[in-house]
Amino acid sequence: MANVLRHLPELEGMELGYIQGIMKDMDDEQASFFANVYRARRKDNQMILILCLIGFVGFAGLHRFILGQIGLGILYLLTAGLCFIGTIVDLVNYKSLAYEYNIKIAHETLNMMNFNRG
Amino acid sequence: MASFWCLDSVMNALSRHFSKLPVELIFWIGALIGILFIDPYGPNHFTLCPLDNLGFDWCPGCGLGRSMSLLTKGDFKASWSMHPLAMFAFVVIVLRIIQLIRNNKTTRNHG
Repeated sequence: MANVLRHLPELEGMELGYIQGIMKDMDDEQASFFANVYRARRKDNQMILILCLIGFVGFAGLHRFILGQIGLGILYLLTAGLCFIGTIVDLVNYKSLAYEYNIKIAHETLNMMNFNRG
Repeated sequence: MASFWCLDSVMNALSRHFSKLPVELIFWIGALIGILFIDPYGPNHFTLCPLDNLGFDWCPGCGLGRSMSLLTKGDFKASWSMHPLAMFAFVVIVLRIIQLIRNNKTTRNHG
């Protein structure tokens, strides 16, 4: 019965709810291990926002590279963020971009923990 | 004070609405549909591009939409000379749409 706010107080919104769902069956030791690994790997949505804003001064798509979407990153970089329209769309939904990536990381972490345990 | 409270609740409602909508999915599908309606052979075209509307003549993305449109009509040579990235853009965008639809099933429900 681990509480997500005790281990990962920086989470917010949908991510908070999702990680609470993952952590609710863990004991305290498992939860703090999970929290440490997850914190080291997740991407902060403010970093995504800032990298996205760099798109307005000439280097578009850095946030897509950071999120592991290399193809879209190259496309954004070579077309100035699809003539800025792609960059503006990503400014609107930077939170769901980060959320999508973080959920993937959470499941990776969870799989590795289960693998180690048994 | 009352007006501030009103604004705040409107903003909250908006952001709640946006977080439910798959904005990116709608954007990419809308973009592909928009490209199908471009007439690449017309002399001048309507553009949303802020650079173009500000009067700049050249940017690295210029011609990508028309190039992708030429590709849907099967005119590979003209498409390549308009912008060589059209095929790459198609592949990447379609893969991203597939990925987003898959994600929608897994990430939208808590726990």
